[in-house]
Parts: sequence; structure tokens; C-alpha cells
Amino acid sequence: MFDTILLLVAQTTVLLAFSPFLVGLIRKVKARLQLRRGASVLQPYADLAKLFHKQPVISTTTSWIFTATPYIVFASILTAGLLVPTFISQTPMNFAGNIIALVYLLALGTFFLMLAGLDAGSAFGGMGSSREAIVASLTEPAMMLAIFAIALTNGSTNLSTIVHKTALLEGIVTDPSPHLMALAALFIVALAETGRVPVDNPATHLELTMIHEAMVLEYSGRYLALLEWAAGLKLAVFLSLIVNVFAPWGIATAVTPTAIGIGLLVYVVKTAALAVFIGVIECMFAKLRLFRVTDLLGVAFILALLGLLFFYILRS
Amino acid sequence: MSEAIFCDDLLTAAFPGILKHDPICAKSSHFTVPKDRLPAISHYIHTQPSLRGRLTLLWACDDRPVRDSYGLYYLFTLEASHHWVVLSTELAGHDRLFPSITPHIHAAQWYEREIRDMFGLIPQGHPDLRRLVRHEHWPKGTHPLQKDFSWNNVLERQQGEYRFHHIEGEGVFEVPVGPIHAGIIESGHFRFSVAGEPIMQLELRHFWKHRGVEKLFEQLTLTDAVLLAERVSGDTTVGHALAYCQAVEALLHLEVPRRANYLRSLFLELERLYNHLGDIGAMCNDTAYALAHAHCGRLKERIMQLNDRLTGSRFLRGVIEVGGVTQDIESRRLVEIVEELSHIQSDFSEVGAIIFANASLTDRLETTGVLNERTAWDHAVIGIVGRASGRDCDLRRDRPFAAYDELPVNVALYRYGDARARLRVRGDEIHESIRLIREVRDKIPNGPIASQPRSLPKPGAWTLAAVEGWRGEILYMVMAGEDGRIHRCKVRDPSFVNWPAIQWAVLGNIIPDFPLINKSFNLSYAGNDL
Repeated sequence: MFDTILLLVAQTTVLLAFSPFLVGLIRKVKARLQLRRGASVLQPYADLAKLFHKQPVISTTTSWIFTATPYIVFASILTAGLLVPTFISQTPMNFAGNIIALVYLLALGTFFLMLAGLDAGSAFGGMGSSREAIVASLTEPAMMLAIFAIALTNGSTNLSTIVHKTALLEGIVTDPSPHLMALAALFIVALAETGRVPVDNPATHLELTMIHEAMVLEYSGRYLALLEWAAGLKLAVFLSLIVNVFAPWGIATAVTPTAIGIGLLVYVVKTAALAVFIGVIECMFAKLRLFRVTDLLGVAFILALLGLLFFYILRS
Repeated sequence: MSEAIFCDDLLTAAFPGILKHDPICAKSSHFTVPKDRLPAISHYIHTQPSLRGRLTLLWACDDRPVRDSYGLYYLFTLEASHHWVVLSTELAGHDRLFPSITPHIHAAQWYEREIRDMFGLIPQGHPDLRRLVRHEHWPKGTHPLQKDFSWNNVLERQQGEYRFHHIEGEGVFEVPVGPIHAGIIESGHFRFSVAGEPIMQLELRHFWKHRGVEKLFEQLTLTDAVLLAERVSGDTTVGHALAYCQAVEALLHLEVPRRANYLRSLFLELERLYNHLGDIGAMCNDTAYALAHAHCGRLKERIMQLNDRLTGSRFLRGVIEVGGVTQDIESRRLVEIVEELSHIQSDFSEVGAIIFANASLTDRLETTGVLNERTAWDHAVIGIVGRASGRDCDLRRDRPFAAYDELPVNVALYRYGDARARLRVRGDEIHESIRLIREVRDKIPNGPIASQPRSLPKPGAWTLAAVEGWRGEILYMVMAGEDGRIHRCKVRDPSFVNWPAIQWAVLGNIIPDFPLINKSFNLSYAGNDL
């Protein structure tokens, strides 16, 4: 019991403390590839600290949704993060929900974010919300199918079980094609859900092109800090999901100090490597035309579906 | 000369009542016409197949201190010969009405509204008489370019409402953008009517920072006002200063030394280079392709630092003066410039290859913001934007100034009229500018770099000068006043002509592509809002 609580606190701390680093790391990689020195990778921490000290300004036309949204978004994404194994395969919260719970916890945050975008009544918030609705409704099925393809090979929809079994090389299939298809699909979904190039541009100042940024345009002070932190958390959740579902080796499979130490180190290295890869991708591609995003997400969906079909074809 | 005779004969034959004057400058004709025949004559010049006159400038002048009348002037550029035709007319006494030519010639729309705002002269039959320059908070009856309006007058504020064109229907929304933006962008207001993402209508509302530039010119002497011309649009310092100086030199009958003319061309090309490099980078940045943006930014910086080393100013301020240039450049330095530019050119070729090979970027640029040739002609669109839409016009070739009579220019021309074509025009012009600078190095003669003005022009004498700045055709009309002062100076940045065209280029595009289209035009807010 005590162990479980301790692990729960540890996982929460790791997610909260590590996520701004990932954001800073991507920015740093982009800066270096653009011949710039770039801000320190620790800059997002300083930004959060600054924003928490600032007084928020709230439009008088907003309702309770506007002020409640940052807390709901932050809480739902953090809870989703506790369902995903990070450094230990059996997360302490694994009893609480499976991958379907994960998908809908993330959707809950997105839903409230879209409401908040509409709430202030500005032109840009509404545009951001309507675009986010397109993206979210297309990423959701692709993400579900991708994880189902993996779930089928492992015989469970519980993420901890999936990761634990894969880490111990139990029930591993000889043909990895369903895994590869699901990986590609999930990676595209991760780019779309976390608002990266080529779907959205987190660095833009052009209101008319924004998706995620347009929804949070009216926020300031601690509310903005929470939303920024939540965006970082979401990135960490997706990166953890990808590295641990597809390559969990090195993760702690037993609750011993050595295993946890190694697990923590391997986790940090793997997610950081994936973040660097995302940074490189952001430098290689231009952002897609808004209506081409649907094509990209369609590709993700088809890949995930093929992954699922392959499982049945290979089994029979 | 035969062109001039041909065009003059055609006009005098078709309209026997018009009066021919001495030409105001080379390759031009000047007629005085009765005001009620203006629409017919302009329509004839605009549509007659052998003339095809493009409305180039339309300006008014308050002559009341001298002869109790307002003057109205219409400048057309003939399509084939690039010959200028000026029509002028007078509104005598208390006459404040003149016939609008906008119903026939679309390009006159903003000019006539501007004249109404600045002079209080009313274009009869104009389809859109809302205020353009003086926003609704300016008091009624304020017309700053009337001579009895003092330049340091402080205006009171009044209430008023500008009525935008509305599209109504189910699912149609208006998206107001600006004049305050999220990034460092100048103040302009864009009102979109959209159904979903596609744009059904865009209406511009500019002129938020009227500085009274044309009024300020009237407070200065001919030689001092170069400093003001340099500041009309900060990124076009050389273009504006050069156009202004050419007008003044024509009034003073001043011969500019050949070496100075070559240096003027050099500075103009340097200005073109740094702006084009910056624009290409900025367009890539708007598609979130940050790599190309970073490299173009680096190359732009190298040129600006080169400018700084050569002249002491990154924006080439204070380089052009009436009679010549202020800075000589030794031949040793010229060789250095060419070397530096060769490095920049090879770097740019590499960046250009990356840009045009990138499929995701090409997909964003192609078919985005198409301005077809017909619309470009109707709006008299010029410069980079015109050349990307198949409008083959470049003053460096068509009406050579500075040293361009000895430096033949290959004009970049594309027909698609999309954002990619505008990017390509810029890319080609970068290579062409560097080639021209090499030619300057080879051909530049020795000699003085400036000549001193000796006489003062006769009050009331006026002339026109045109320069192909990096955005396009910059025009200055300067009319001399008493004691070497300026009676009237009309400034026309190409942005004033090209801004309305953007309203047509965006139709059918989606809202998130607008910033890219706007960037591919990259028009000046300051040069537009005098």
C-alpha cells in the first residue's frame, strides 16, 4: 500500500517536472538547426514561474467555463498521464482505467478547451475551436485503432499489462508489421494532438493560422501557465505512450530501487530522443494547408486499420 | 519620338477640343481637357487597343493662392511604348465637383476617394464615397491638403461609424483582424466574410496612422525634403529618395554625374537584395518552414551589414542627395562588394534549391492567392506582384533612370499569379540584382559624385519622376513654390496601387492561408498611409 502511494507520487512528480524540459528540448533542437543559439532548455520552467506570478486578466464576457477550463484540462491530462506507464511498467493507477479511459480523458480536456475558446467570444477563439474540433474528431478513431492493434496482440486493453508483457517479451509476435503500422499512426496522432508542425505551429504569431494557440489566446497569468503546462504534459503523455508501448525495454518491471533507477534513466533518454526527433521533423516540413490535415490524419487512420487487419491475417 | 506623335495625333483627332502642352519630361505628352470630357477621354486612352493606357497616378493640387482654382491631373502609361500621357483639368472658382472615372477605370477608385478626403473635391458618380484616409473621428470638413489648412493644426475627435460591406446569410461570419495584431505587424484592419474557412469577401481598412507627409513636404525646401522622402517607407529608403531627387533635379535642370548614377543603381539594387531575401524568408516562416527563414535571415543580415560598412547605415539612409550621392565607393571596395555578393549568391542558390525542392512548401505556395492577369490589369497592379501575374512592367527597362540605360535588365516574369510565382520573381530578381552589381563594377566611370544646384525653379513648375523600387514603381510629382520651396509633392508608393488587389487575390482561399498571401504581396502600410 505504502509502495503504491509512493510510486504514485513519484510518477506524478516525474510527469510534472519532466514535461517542461521536453518542450524546452524541442525548442532548443529547432533553434540549433536554424543556426540560432536558442533559449536554455530550462526556459519553459522560468516561463511557468513567471506566469504563475502574474495577475490574470479575464474578459467580462466570459462565464465559469473560462476560469474552470485550465483546471479541468490540467487535471484530465495529468490523470491520463497516470494511466500511462513511464518508468515502471505496472503503474500504480492501472486499476483505474484502460486505454479507452485514456483517450476520453484527453478528449475531455480538448472538449473544455474548445468551449473556452468559444466562451470569450473573440473571432480567433471560435476559429481555433472549430479547427480543433476537426483535428480532434479525426485523431480519436486513429488513436483508438492504433492502440487496439497493440491490445489485440497482447490480449489486454490495460496499458500496464501491454507494456509489462512486451517488456518481458511475453507473447511477442514474430511479425512486427501490426506494431509498425500502429507506431506510424500513433506518431502522426501525437503530432496532431500536441499541436506540432505540420498540423499546427506552436511558434507562430499569426492569429489566423493558429489552432491550439487561438483557443488559449485570451488566457493570461496562472490560467495560461496551467494551460501551457498541460500542453507540455500532453506531449510527455504521448511520448511516454509511444516509447513504452512500442519499445518498453529497460522499464522497471519489478518494484526494486535498482530497477526503478534504471527505468527512470532509460525513460528520460528515450523520451528525450523522441523529442529531438520531433524537433528535427519540425524543421524539415512546412505546415500543411488546413484542409490537408484531414488527409494526413486519414493516413494515420488507415495505417492503424491496416495494423488491426494484419493482426487477424497473421493469426489465421 | 514617333510614338509621341502617333499618340498625340490619335488623341487630338478623336477629341478636337483638347489642348496640347509642352511635354513635362522625356517620353510624355500633356493635354488640358475640359472637365466634363474627362471620363470619355480617359476611357478612350484606357481601352483604345493601340494605346491601352494604364492609370498610373491621379492627383490634385490646390492652386488657389495663385489663381483661384484646383488642378486635377491624370497620368496614364501606354502599355506598348511606356509613353506617359498626362491629362489635366481645372476646377475654377467655387466648383468642388468633378466627374468620376472609376465606373470605367477601376484603378482610380482609391485615388478619387483620397482626393475627396484631402481636398474636399467630390468625384461625381463614384460608386463608393465612404471616407478612405480621414477616418470617421476626423471632424467634418477637414481637408488637410487645402492650402488654408495649417500643417500643425491639432484635430478634435468626433464620433462616426465606417460601414463595412456585409454579406448576409446562414453560416456567414465576419472575422475582424487588426489593426492591433499578435505579432510585430503594422496597423491594418482586415474584415473577412467567411462561410466556414473559405473567404467570400475581404475588405481592407487602412490609413490608421496618417502622418501628413504630403503636407510636411510643403513646409520644406526642395533640397531638404530628401530626408523626408527617405522616411516615407523605411524599407524603401533609396527608392523614395531617388525618385524624389530625380524629380527635383529635373526641376533644377541639374545634370547628375555618370558615376553618381552608377552608385545610385548600386544602392537601389542593394536595397532590393536585402528586402527580397527577407521576404523569401518571411514567406517560408509563414508556412512554418523555419529552416529557410533562418538562412534567408542570415543572408539578409549579411547584406545589411554590408550596407552599414559601405555607408554607415543599414537602411542606406542619407546616401542619396539632390545632384548625386553623398558617399563615393572606391574601386577596391567595389571588388569587395562583388566578392561578398558572390558568396551570398552561392548560399542563396543552395537555399533556393532546398525551398523549391520541398514538396510540403510547394504545396502551400502553389495555387495560393491567385491574382489573374485580367484583375491585375484592371487594378493597374505593378511591381513584383504584377510581374508574378504576367504584367510585364519594370521601369528599369521601360523608362530607364539612374544608370539603367547602360545596364540592361532582364525582367523576371511569371504568369500563374500565385504565391509561388511571387516567390519566384523575388528569387530571380536576387540573381539579377547581383549580376547588375557586377556590371556596375565593370562599367562604372570615374568622376565627380555630385553636382551643385545653381538656379531656383520657377514657381508653379512641376515634373514627374519614377523609380522601380524593390516593391515596384515609385512615383513623385513635385511642384515648385516660391524661393525654392515645395508647393505640392504627390508621393505614390506601389503599395497604394497593390493593396486593393489583395482583396481579389484572397477570394476562395481559406483564412489560414491569408497571412501567407499577404506576405507574398508584402505591401507597405506606411508608404500607403502618408
